[in-house]
Amino acid sequence: MNNDFQNTQNDLELESMRQQMTTLKNKLNQQEIVNDHLMRHSMKKTVSDINRTYIWLIVIGLLMVPYGYWAFVKLTGFSMAFWIGTSILMLVCAGATYYNKTRVKDANLMTNNLVDVSRRMARAKKFDADWLFFGIPAIILWLGWFAYESYLIAGNIEQNWLMYGGIIGGIIGAICGFSIHFKTQRQYQDIIDQIEDLTAEN
Amino acid sequence: MTNLERQFAQTVAEHKSTIYTVCYMFSQDADEVNDLFQEVLVNLWKGFENFEHRSDIKTWIYRVALNTCISIDRKKKRRSAETRLTMDINLFEDRDEDTKQVGMLHKRISKLQPFDRAIVLLWLENLSYEEIGQIVGITAKNVSVRLFRIREQLKQMSHD
Repeated sequence: MNNDFQNTQNDLELESMRQQMTTLKNKLNQQEIVNDHLMRHSMKKTVSDINRTYIWLIVIGLLMVPYGYWAFVKLTGFSMAFWIGTSILMLVCAGATYYNKTRVKDANLMTNNLVDVSRRMARAKKFDADWLFFGIPAIILWLGWFAYESYLIAGNIEQNWLMYGGIIGGIIGAICGFSIHFKTQRQYQDIIDQIEDLTAEN
Repeated sequence: MTNLERQFAQTVAEHKSTIYTVCYMFSQDADEVNDLFQEVLVNLWKGFENFEHRSDIKTWIYRVALNTCISIDRKKKRRSAETRLTMDINLFEDRDEDTKQVGMLHKRISKLQPFDRAIVLLWLENLSYEEIGQIVGITAKNVSVRLFRIREQLKQMSHD
């Protein structure tokens, strides 16, 4: 008897939600899309906005090659080997970031089901996290090399302003990089938590 | 307008209430609905050319809309108002009886987790368990288990 009553209460609850949904649909069906004539322009603009982010990554990576040559070799007199090492590092970093972003954002991603999308996000998170195992040692090595090159030019530690500047820049860069990294990881984790919640029932 | 753009505009016009409903249920204010609506349209447009009509277009639209609403970075910069595509309605401010009813529905659904929100939304749209399962990526049996738990949650909410 009690169960019957509860079932009836449940049905009423769900029935009222269905009625509210119908009300919402009726309201929306009376509406027209505003700025309909801007659709074409807007679509093209927004898609190019998304692509621009990827292009920027590549452009910065590529620009670092000539800029590094000017800044390190021509301006400060660092070795060619240092410039080549820096260029390779920058290109690898930009390439890896681009690769991971396209995995999360590609055009087909949105048409897959929610669980598939979430799994891809989980893989992207893992790639992002694994990247640190390469990224941190690479940056430490690079900073060490930078300090050594600047020491060769300055001739002593006390007057090596270039090295101090490099270290300060490196610390600021590391703080920015880590804050972006942890923010991205948190966003990925939110989605992964939802998947685990779902797959726990399967 | 090209033929494809005309087809897209027609598809959006036919399914605008479906898209808007999903965006509304995943938003907390009118600006957020408009941003999501715009973002869903962009993602639909990106995939429209390659949509092969093997599945129902409505199923595909649900997938894109739900994926967008769940995955989007809410802190991203607001789109400029001059190119905004939306509907001239504010379900968060209008105060007639119908809007109040819709607001009650929003309040209940927004308390659920995003995946549950997606499932109950599709159920309210009268989709079968199989169709819901195809959209969110779980089996029909899991949909029914999930819906049972959602009902329990909703019941609990009404008691609180």
